[in-house]
Amino acid sequence: MKIPCGGDGHRPRVGRAADAEGRRGFLAKAVTLALGGVGLLVPAVTGIVAFFNPLRQKSQTGQFLRLTSLDVLPEDGTPRRFPVVADRTDAWNRSANEPIGAVFLRRTGDPQEPVLALHVVCPHAGCYIEYRDAPEGGRFFCPCHGAGFDLNGNCLERPSESPRRMDTLEVDPQALQAGEVRVKFENFQTGTSKKVKRA
Amino acid sequence: MRSLRHWIEDRTGLGETARSCLDAPIAGGACWCRVWPATIAFAFCVQLITGFFLWMYYSPGAQTAWESVYFLQHEVAGGWLLRAMHHWSGQVLLVLVGLYLIQMIVTGAYRAPRELVFWTVLLMALVTLGSLLTGDLLAWDQNSFSSTQTRVNFLELLPWVGGGLWRLAAGGPQFGHLTLTRFLVLHVCCLSGSFLLLLALHVVLGRRADAAKAAAAEMTVPFWPHQAVRNAVAMAIVLVAILLLSLRHGISGDDRGVALGSPADTSSSFAAARPEWAFRGLYEFAHLFPGDVEILGVSLKILPIFVIPGLLVCVFLAMPWTARRPAGHPFNVGLAAVVLVGVAVLSVVSVRKDLQDEEYQAALRTEDDHAWRAVQLTRAKGIPLTGALTLLREDPKTQGPILFKTHCASCHNYLDAQQQGIKAEKPSAPNLYGFATRQWIAGLLDPRTITGPDYFGNTKFKRGDMVDFVETLYEGLEAAELKELKEELSTVVAGLSAEAQFKSQRELDEKEAARVSKGKALIGEIGCTDCHKFHDKGRLGVAPDHTGYGSREWTIAIIANAGDRRFYRDDNDRMPVYAESLGDPANNILQNRELGLLADWLRGEWFEE
Repeated sequence: MKIPCGGDGHRPRVGRAADAEGRRGFLAKAVTLALGGVGLLVPAVTGIVAFFNPLRQKSQTGQFLRLTSLDVLPEDGTPRRFPVVADRTDAWNRSANEPIGAVFLRRTGDPQEPVLALHVVCPHAGCYIEYRDAPEGGRFFCPCHGAGFDLNGNCLERPSESPRRMDTLEVDPQALQAGEVRVKFENFQTGTSKKVKRA
Repeated sequence: MRSLRHWIEDRTGLGETARSCLDAPIAGGACWCRVWPATIAFAFCVQLITGFFLWMYYSPGAQTAWESVYFLQHEVAGGWLLRAMHHWSGQVLLVLVGLYLIQMIVTGAYRAPRELVFWTVLLMALVTLGSLLTGDLLAWDQNSFSSTQTRVNFLELLPWVGGGLWRLAAGGPQFGHLTLTRFLVLHVCCLSGSFLLLLALHVVLGRRADAAKAAAAEMTVPFWPHQAVRNAVAMAIVLVAILLLSLRHGISGDDRGVALGSPADTSSSFAAARPEWAFRGLYEFAHLFPGDVEILGVSLKILPIFVIPGLLVCVFLAMPWTARRPAGHPFNVGLAAVVLVGVAVLSVVSVRKDLQDEEYQAALRTEDDHAWRAVQLTRAKGIPLTGALTLLREDPKTQGPILFKTHCASCHNYLDAQQQGIKAEKPSAPNLYGFATRQWIAGLLDPRTITGPDYFGNTKFKRGDMVDFVETLYEGLEAAELKELKEELSTVVAGLSAEAQFKSQRELDEKEAARVSKGKALIGEIGCTDCHKFHDKGRLGVAPDHTGYGSREWTIAIIANAGDRRFYRDDNDRMPVYAESLGDPANNILQNRELGLLADWLRGEWFEE
């Protein structure tokens, strides 16, 4: 394919004049490339800075939120799912008291850690895990890819679809003594064996 | 590596094509007069690059368009600069295409074989105008909405197809989400795509025409680097111009970059709405034609808005052929000059008219206030899902003056000590600035001011019992007694004003709690309760109730119905009943929400940073 740009019309020069012209030509080429480069870089860099803005924004999670009172949790250790309600910020929108996630809570019977809080989000691919009751004992089950977890959140099968156990969340021990369940709600990266907070 | 390069070259021929473009001979040597296409291509590249990143933040929708632009302008790092560069490179692009077009006409560069080359430039100018129009709406602020709505309404001037075209442009029977979506697609896809196509066509056709000329030329130089370096310098100048314009309000502060107006309110119009500068001439031109004259059922306004501009475009398209006739070229140059000077003169006339128009200036100031207020409220409260407009609609500081002007300012002034504020058309009721504050009540209890224009001067109470009472208090007092009375009255003022429970006075009321309660007791002792009810003293039915005087509830109630038993009864001779019953909003002039906004505004209670 040849775009019609015209032929080889100019006449070459010779000798000293050609040298001088060669130097001027080099300078002209350098100036052209430099100016052209800067010209395109200015808008491009501005745009790229704006594009990377999401990396500078801080996550709203990481605060202790009250989920329920302790006496609501079944004595026999059956987990119950509670929505996490908090102020939600979506870019420019701010709305009060919206559900931002969910947490499983269950009594453990362990006086050191009487309530276990498990994030409903599956560490495998981020689906919402369900609790299934059964005569032989309840279990957690992820409906998307079939990962199973026991009541403490440990993987049931080996090998498991999930790279790690269910994510535990910090429970406020002082509030617990006052009969309130307060949980530090955070989100974690999925697909890794290590539990890493999603910033 | 080498073989890969050869393989690519063999299959694509890209290198050869590039080389033949770079080596293209320029007849008569390199020239500054040939830099236009490069500058146009550069300005357009800036448009593409900045537009691409803007698009990543833009959310078309009546409740998200302004909001997303706000977010970009005020929250995203570099967002304001991105927006400013996009805006200004668009304006610069139009100027460059315009200048190039003029140069082609003046130098006769449209002549054969360059007719189509000329056409591509003319069409680029039209497409750029279209981009300006469609891009203007996207910010969805009061000006861009109002002026675009007017423009789209022009479509209805067209016989038969007008109504249908209106709907197609608006995306439905009203302006909103789909108007924005349509304008966005037109702007980022159709118009910029057309421009890109025209620009490519221009370069290809231009090179073809130039090649023929170069073959016959005495002297030629290769494009690279002789012409290229001139192009690059011209591009750098364009970049500097774009940056200077973008940075003209500085790099910090809330007004940096391009201004964003207040969020569009589709339920109202904007008195100061004006088109983009490029359309100012046309705007004024259209005003030269009467709006009430119809020919065969078609408004005469169709002439300045569609017929004459359309004919002009046709005449311009025909210029290469006109030039073949004797005196054709001078005619073309003359016509271009007339159009250019005409547009310039009309634009200047239009702008000067506005500068002298007090109402226009006032509307502009109000809009500026609203724009700033929207930013202030957004920062403090965040934008609700119903959009930023909700923030303004629920803001007493914004709505108070609007409601007051509509419903109260035919009789009441709202003027501060410097006489600034809202002036009544024909003052015939008290000045309500600072109503029920200590200062306001003190003025009422002063015989020098109670009969003045700020209180009862313009009302029938000028010769009433209240004036008698105040004048009698002061009658025949010696200096010492006068001092004592004044002290006593100032205590009464403190007591009565505390009834309003102003947030601004809370600290003072708490600090002077003893004085306030003494003042409240005095109200019952110096004779106020002979006419006014005050808590458990006095009775209703003679003069307005002073229990909770100036409080939010009291203020709402007196605005709702000043003729109520609790207030002026039959003595109310002119104040309309704005809300007969708060429980029956359907029959009321003012809704409960509006009464609340008005009361909050009169009480000076709104969000401040």
